[in-house]
Amino acid sequence: MVLWAHAHLRRILSQWREAYISLYLSIVVPLYNEEESVEALVKGIEETGHRFDFAYEIVLVDDGSTDGTWNIVEQLASRIPYLRGVKFRRNYGQTSAMVAGFEHAQGEIIVTLDGDLQNDPADIPKLLEKIDEGYDIVSGWRKDRKDHFSRVLPSKIANAIISHSTKVRLHDYGCSLKAYRANCVKALNAYGEMHRFFPALASMTGAKITEIPVAHHPRKFGSSKYGFDRIFKVFSDIFAMNLIIRFSSYPLKGFVLSAVPFVVLTAFFSLLGLLAIVLSWTTGKALFFMMAAALCAAAVVQLVILGVLGELVINTSDLTHAHLPEITIREISVDNNQPN
Amino acid sequence: MMISVILLLEDCYKDQSDFIAAIDRIFSDIGDPFEILVIANGTGNFFRSRLSEIQGLRNRIRAFEFGNRTTQAVCLKAVLKEVQCDTLVICGSYQQLSADSMREVVGALDDSCDVVSPWRQKRVDPAFNQFQSKVFNGLMRWIVGAGLHDFSCTVKVVRRSVLQEIELYGNMFRFLPVLAADRGFRVKEVPVTHFQERGETGFYSLSDYITRLIDIFTLFFNTRFTRKPLRFFSTIGIGFLSVGLLSMGVLFIQRFLFSIPIGNRPFLFLSLMLTILGVLVSSAGLLGEIIAFTNGRQKKQYTIEKTI
Repeated sequence: MVLWAHAHLRRILSQWREAYISLYLSIVVPLYNEEESVEALVKGIEETGHRFDFAYEIVLVDDGSTDGTWNIVEQLASRIPYLRGVKFRRNYGQTSAMVAGFEHAQGEIIVTLDGDLQNDPADIPKLLEKIDEGYDIVSGWRKDRKDHFSRVLPSKIANAIISHSTKVRLHDYGCSLKAYRANCVKALNAYGEMHRFFPALASMTGAKITEIPVAHHPRKFGSSKYGFDRIFKVFSDIFAMNLIIRFSSYPLKGFVLSAVPFVVLTAFFSLLGLLAIVLSWTTGKALFFMMAAALCAAAVVQLVILGVLGELVINTSDLTHAHLPEITIREISVDNNQPN
Repeated sequence: MMISVILLLEDCYKDQSDFIAAIDRIFSDIGDPFEILVIANGTGNFFRSRLSEIQGLRNRIRAFEFGNRTTQAVCLKAVLKEVQCDTLVICGSYQQLSADSMREVVGALDDSCDVVSPWRQKRVDPAFNQFQSKVFNGLMRWIVGAGLHDFSCTVKVVRRSVLQEIELYGNMFRFLPVLAADRGFRVKEVPVTHFQERGETGFYSLSDYITRLIDIFTLFFNTRFTRKPLRFFSTIGIGFLSVGLLSMGVLFIQRFLFSIPIGNRPFLFLSLMLTILGVLVSSAGLLGEIIAFTNGRQKKQYTIEKTI
């Protein structure tokens, strides 16, 4: 009897907790060798957090740091009850750190920040306002960027290309300060080096995306963790992402489109071959044109086969991103014509 | 420290009861509590007939059997459910390390590492085998970039969590330390004394060499490109494509600026073929990217050491 009452009480308590103090906001920060800045960062977040009238948590993800970052995280966690830490076994990159943060975040809204103090936590309320207006993703735009020219220029070019190719019009994809509705970004299951493409990928789900200008501070500690070879990688990622966003739901279409030039070539060479036979040009020519036509036709067949394999892969996959838009479905009614 | 000793017995070595007794003696001498799990991988009736004799040694020996021979990776994954301790010592079919070395290797697993890989600095097998082994290990260091010296030693000491977290399949057991390091586990290499070698002497069969090379390539691809296949394929594809297009350009200039006939020259075919090859290889990368995107996303790419 006592046991039953106890269990009952606990259940009621946990239900009450879920109903009234459910977490609204999770702030996710990936950290890689940031021992100098962690404390200042958490202090900055807390200063902003004191003004919130809802519960929030801080999730610090240590991306395999080799310095004392994790020790500081542990100290902070013992002092701050709503701060949690996740430690990777080795360095896996910013995307993985963010994804792990999303996984551990319990809030309805997730805000990501850079660990190097270049983003200002004071901008968080502005992002949340936009979320309240009904947007699913609010991206920060470092309008007045405080970085060296050699970093800003490639980034600007990359931004322009991403903006034009993915049709998600933002100025600044590289800014880490972003706010997401948790269900939108968790469903992406991102991997590799995709964090730059979260908005573009999320647009596959039909999420509503906007941006607001945010503050940007010059780097105080340490050096930037980007090398020159990143530029090549970023551009090859842009290419891959575009192909995925466009064709991963219709692989056959993508491959057939890439086969079109070869279809044209096949037709062209066949025609010349026929002409060579009919008009009896020199014997070598007919042979050459026919062989060339056969080569091009083989390429067409191969590409179509690859496309069919692609359809097979998508069809047999457990997780079809074709279902991603289901996340952002919402009921609408006449009374409710807030920003769509 | 509780130790589970896993013996992966292959059918080609017959006198395994002596080996099991030797292992039992070594670990009894170490003194820590331990269990021995023997996996008879396709050894069939021979092993079964000696079972009572083997288990008569100590009742802590448990035996498992695969009727048909399978890979070591499958054996390990299967026996992992039965293992009771957190420290695993995996051995092959015969005693490759001396008792002292074995003790050293087991003792080397401390808080600073998760995997211990023995390095047989002085080897006792024929010079030609040593040479082949050197070539293999050198290839591994060069292609995969692994900082270890000896991948062929059958003894490995690992924590159970390592085996639970990494993907082992096919012939990947040999590369356990590399795969573990790739998942962020710490690997330590310990120099040991080679005790005896029972493998083939001289040349292996051709298929063995080919298998080995393919294994190295598989490891290379698996550790670097499974989440970005396009980068791998497009590097090759763009190489072909650019050579093909370049030679086409040369032919074009020859034909239209210098009126040199090109229709009957193999060069024309070569450039056409290279162009097509380039497109096909890059397209395969696109297919790979689609597979990674649709199926790879549920698998976590990272490993978490702790959370607070």
